Amino acid sequence: MVTRIVVGYTANESGADALALGGRLAAASEALLEVVMVLPIEARGAVVPPDTGYERHLKERSRGWLAEASARLGDGVEQALHIRYAESFAEGLVAAAHEFGASLIVVGAARGGLLGRSRIGSVANDLLHASDVPVALAPAGSRETPVSLGVTRITGAVGTRSGAGSVLDISVRLARLTHAPLRLVSLVSIDLPAGMDEELASLASTAHADDVLEAARRALPAGTTATSVVASGDTIEQAVAALEWHAGEVVIVGSSRLATPSRLFLGSTASKMLRELPVPMIVVPRATS
Amino acid sequence: MTHQEPHQQHTEPHAPLTTASAAVDGSDTGLSKKGLSAGSVGLIGAIVIGISCIAPAYTLTGALGPTVAEVGTQLPAIFLLGFIPMLLVAFGYRELNNAMPDSGTSFTWATRAFGPWIGWMAGWGLIAATIVVLSNLAGIAVEFFYLALAQAFNNPDIASLVGNPFVNVATCLVFILGATLISYRDMQTTQKVQYWLVGFQLVVMIGFGVAAFWHVANGTAFDPTQVELSWFNPFEVGSFSAVVAGLSVSLFVFWGWDVTLTMNEETKGSRTTPGRAATLTVTIVVAIYLFVAMGALAFAGIGETGVGLGNPDIQENAFFYLSGPILGPLAILMSLAVLSSSAASLQSTFVSPARTLLAMGHYGALPEKFARVSPRFFTPGYATVVSAIVAAGFYTVMRFVSEDVLWDTITTLGMMICFYYGLTAFACVWYFRKQWFRRARNTFFMFIAPLVGGLILTVLFFTTLIDSMDPDYGSGSNIGGVGLVFILGVVIILTGVVIMFIQAKRRPGFFRGESLSRAVAED
Repeated sequence: MVTRIVVGYTANESGADALALGGRLAAASEALLEVVMVLPIEARGAVVPPDTGYERHLKERSRGWLAEASARLGDGVEQALHIRYAESFAEGLVAAAHEFGASLIVVGAARGGLLGRSRIGSVANDLLHASDVPVALAPAGSRETPVSLGVTRITGAVGTRSGAGSVLDISVRLARLTHAPLRLVSLVSIDLPAGMDEELASLASTAHADDVLEAARRALPAGTTATSVVASGDTIEQAVAALEWHAGEVVIVGSSRLATPSRLFLGSTASKMLRELPVPMIVVPRATS
Repeated sequence: MTHQEPHQQHTEPHAPLTTASAAVDGSDTGLSKKGLSAGSVGLIGAIVIGISCIAPAYTLTGALGPTVAEVGTQLPAIFLLGFIPMLLVAFGYRELNNAMPDSGTSFTWATRAFGPWIGWMAGWGLIAATIVVLSNLAGIAVEFFYLALAQAFNNPDIASLVGNPFVNVATCLVFILGATLISYRDMQTTQKVQYWLVGFQLVVMIGFGVAAFWHVANGTAFDPTQVELSWFNPFEVGSFSAVVAGLSVSLFVFWGWDVTLTMNEETKGSRTTPGRAATLTVTIVVAIYLFVAMGALAFAGIGETGVGLGNPDIQENAFFYLSGPILGPLAILMSLAVLSSSAASLQSTFVSPARTLLAMGHYGALPEKFARVSPRFFTPGYATVVSAIVAAGFYTVMRFVSEDVLWDTITTLGMMICFYYGLTAFACVWYFRKQWFRRARNTFFMFIAPLVGGLILTVLFFTTLIDSMDPDYGSGSNIGGVGLVFILGVVIILTGVVIMFIQAKRRPGFFRGESLSRAVAED
């Protein structure tokens, strides 16, 4: 079975980031890359009259952009190029993912935040609210990472609460597809009001995180090996910063427990991670149960 | 665009390319085959877009006074008459748009028909006209913004702030900046919101007319004037020059209406929808214009004192002064109607110079920068920003040079509309010259209608140009004894000629017809 990856392409840096990450994931997992540009439906509003001439021009231009992108990607990745029309970028991408039966949507995390770390942009944010397909967010600068680097490690963030099931499944699958080692991480922040016994609390949280990791490892299918780490710090940001990261690494996190089943929604921990992570992050929806 | 760009490098994609479309409502329009976005606009949608482009509340407040100044009580006659050339040219516009849909519209069509030089000037005329109207729109919006604040806080001092040129210009620049951002990011009002805004605008205008006649019947009108049949007789005006001057202002009130005719491909349903949409739009707009104009005349008369429409002090923004006396405590509704109508019009108007500049950049008639499309918002980013800067600069200069900016810009606009619409009409006639007599409908739509329309506009253009040399023309603004409108018209056209020659030197390709060649419609 060929897996398909949809890349939401725009002809700017953010789109180049998405394309590079998509290409890298596709090359590593031998997936087919579906590069999709989403153009706005002209007649969606009632102020500016639709104009066939301009629409044609946009389409021509987008074709050119796609051709350039495809040339930059090279022959190493099996790819198809598409233009789709939708009311919004996010909507168009989700529809395209359904159309192709894709298992992942890759977008740029939009505006690069400070120091090259990703700060979530409006496109990525819309997509996280609309998608029922896992979404990979390419941080600014992903376009610098060569496709040939492949995926050097998969890190599943299993969290300290329940609901890590689909994260674990997808991490295992992706590690197998990309032939990458698997690491399981549990983040612990000890952010307590003053006056509480910090050491005791820290001990308790870390012990809990150890339990969770242990449970996750036991749940791994036979024959799968994984390393595991508990990362702790005063804040989630510090915990993330304390971990070491590979250049070719990909992190997998679950969507918020507040999200409706099988929809994505970035929870507070994941948002904080995203701000700090130097590597791409894939957000997977909660399993429908 | 329909024509290939010569210099573009053709990078072959490494993979097959597919396109598909999603229709807004119902994908059975057959448009998906073309891979267009299949934006199906229904009948109501087309009418709403049409009315919101014409922006009747805004155009009337700007055009009422200057037209009355020229033709007195024959205002309704002139409004009806002004529609004729616009209709005739719009027919030609539709034919060209069907044959060569292109975002450069008049520029592309005139180039195809008459070659690069005339085509360039037609494009320039369109851009100049829209930039002039942008500054006028923003100016009207500023006045009503302060009027609405004054009404809301019951403090007339706020309304007098518009008289301060610094406050006025600063506010106007903020408005233009806002409109630029909205256009650049292509933030569109949803159809539902726009339906309400257009509905609100129409209701307020009708309310204004009814209230005006109610005051007349009650004897509380400012200067009750008997409605007469002679109001509809243009021959009662007396002077040809006055009729022409009135017409050249009244062209502006119908400008923008042609979009309903050219939305044909996108309009959902049968072939008759666009025609019906255009007819209904224009019927609604004409009815509103006549009703409100007659109401205003009956209420205020054409006296030269107070709120009389003959008073030069109120002429450049009639509703600003009339809404209080006529609507009383509800006057703020009129301010809101004009404001919302200017805002919608500001947005739809912004699109047209930007797209024409983009086409000119694309075909090499202007620097390539103009052809840049924003990769994130899919709008002609560079061209939009340039249009905004020029409009802002134009308004700022005009505000300090002229005492009646709004009036002078509208008169200049009328002249520029004559210029580029005239060229477009003749482009239609010439481009279709081999098809004139193929079918009876061609004879009318490709030959007679645009030819007559173009001739009328040509006469209007030259008469206005000559008459406007008189320092007393229009608002009476002049520099060194020469009418300001004449100076503006000549400066705008000569600037175009100069820039054209500079471009011809730098980018000879376009002017040799390499990117966009002359052609004639064959079967």
